Amino acid sequence: MKRLDDYEPGPVPSPRSLDRFGFVKQDVTPDGLVKSRSAYEYERYREERRVRKWRKMIGVGGSDWKHYLRRKPHVVKRRIRKGIPDCLRGLVWQLISGSRDLLLMNPGVYEQLVIYETSASELDIIRDISRTFPSHVFFQQRHGPGQRSLYNVLKAYSVFDRDVGYVQGMGFLAGLLLLYMSEEDAFWLLVALLKGAVHAPMEGLYLAGLPLVQQYLSQFECLVRENLPKLGEHFSNEMINPSMYASQWFITVFSYSFPFHLALRIWDVFLYEVSAFHLNNHILSWLGPIKVKLPFEKLIHALKNFPENAMNPDTLLPLAYSIKISKRLEELNQEYEKKNGKIRRCGDFSENPITS
Amino acid sequence: MGADEDYDYLFKLVLIGDSAVGKSNLLSRFTRNEFSLETKSTIGVEFATRSVPIDSKLVKAQIWDTAGQERYRAITSAYYRGAVGALVVYDVTRHVTFENVERWLKELRDHTEAYVVVMLVGNKADLRHLRAVSTEEATEFAEKEKIYFMETSALESLNVDNAFIEVLTQIYNVVSRKTLETVDDPPAGSLPKGETIVVGTKDDVSAVKKSGCCST
Repeated sequence: MKRLDDYEPGPVPSPRSLDRFGFVKQDVTPDGLVKSRSAYEYERYREERRVRKWRKMIGVGGSDWKHYLRRKPHVVKRRIRKGIPDCLRGLVWQLISGSRDLLLMNPGVYEQLVIYETSASELDIIRDISRTFPSHVFFQQRHGPGQRSLYNVLKAYSVFDRDVGYVQGMGFLAGLLLLYMSEEDAFWLLVALLKGAVHAPMEGLYLAGLPLVQQYLSQFECLVRENLPKLGEHFSNEMINPSMYASQWFITVFSYSFPFHLALRIWDVFLYEVSAFHLNNHILSWLGPIKVKLPFEKLIHALKNFPENAMNPDTLLPLAYSIKISKRLEELNQEYEKKNGKIRRCGDFSENPITS
Repeated sequence: MGADEDYDYLFKLVLIGDSAVGKSNLLSRFTRNEFSLETKSTIGVEFATRSVPIDSKLVKAQIWDTAGQERYRAITSAYYRGAVGALVVYDVTRHVTFENVERWLKELRDHTEAYVVVMLVGNKADLRHLRAVSTEEATEFAEKEKIYFMETSALESLNVDNAFIEVLTQIYNVVSRKTLETVDDPPAGSLPKGETIVVGTKDDVSAVKKSGCCST
């Protein structure tokens, strides 16, 4: 493995307090998160009940999953929308994304990629390693297990898919996955996502020209105009283009700057249901409450810094589901493809998209 | 970012240069006087503002910080539109980032008007023992390209304000000269706040082209 040689000294590890996901705590604790003891116990009880249900549903090591999914897809969908229990998240993500199958079909491939291949992107990757989730305890230690795994996954992917190689932003996807699964599992999930094991491939987020990012941005702009016409008009008056605030969301699938608990809930549904629909849906639901009158700079600031209390997954997600845009988005997709051509696909794994 | 909506001029600047040369820390040092070793890689674009007095006028800088990786140019090129100043940053400890300045300049000139004020910035000047680009080499290059040049350290807060303020001052000089020359233009200070812009026509200033996508 290559040496991780940075040019700046790493952060000095200090005994700072961490939140439940392992991020260094911010100074402020939002009021909404302080819970009474009884509320806390009730929640724990509910969580345990949920975990039992989920265990039954997926079976030992996921053995019953496919059977259950075939028999009761609506139950699976409903439960996923309520959030996958954190202790099962890593396993369930691998099941719903199809990455578990890829792993089983390709024994030894990951090791080969990590150990024997070299990548033109190695230096680029190294330069970003300490700049990926720098406030998370797992990735803070220089050359520690977190940074090493992150490097290995990204390097392996850049070899596996030389058209994509390494693009800044991929590290946040890989980093998020590594908090829930092993290196090799994270690698195959990245493959499943970008190459399209179950859903349409998302490699267009990172291919030259970032075609899928451009497509999402363009569709998103239309959706804002159609669903939130006042805000849409204000955006165009202030010359605010979605690429100013939303490109980061799409490129990192919300893993870059969102409250972590919300990002996880989004990933639960994102991995299961058709991806782009959900991305757009969520953003629309967040934009709803934005004050229409804000001037340019304040508006961009507001778009990038949603208040913590507006970020409660249990209120936001149902709101997102209630916005019916999938049909319109399908039309926009077709229009876009007619105008710009289909995004080039290479190395498909499967052609059977699950539709929700 | 400041809540101040009172300013006489609004100038849009862009920060460009290779990945990990310190663009985001230059920006945070200038606008918030902050520096962090735990900075995330910039994905897409970020922006921040700061107002500074120049020649008894209040000049507000709206600075766009862009992702440095080559592939991102597909979406960052839009941010050059309307920029009247640019800081092209390299890392004095990595010669390749200096060599790439030429390509950044070309990228900039392809997307902006000829009057854009450009400063070459050699950042991380505090890392003296690791220096790979000499001051002489960079000075010579800047003279050849007819652009300004400064070495900075965002970490030590060395020359950061100077670099930004020099660019703003030069833009200001261009603008105030232009205002004197053009009779049609009302004095900038008398325009309604928020619309006090800048060299060229309003179209030049528009941050990003509106893309017509809706067929309806």
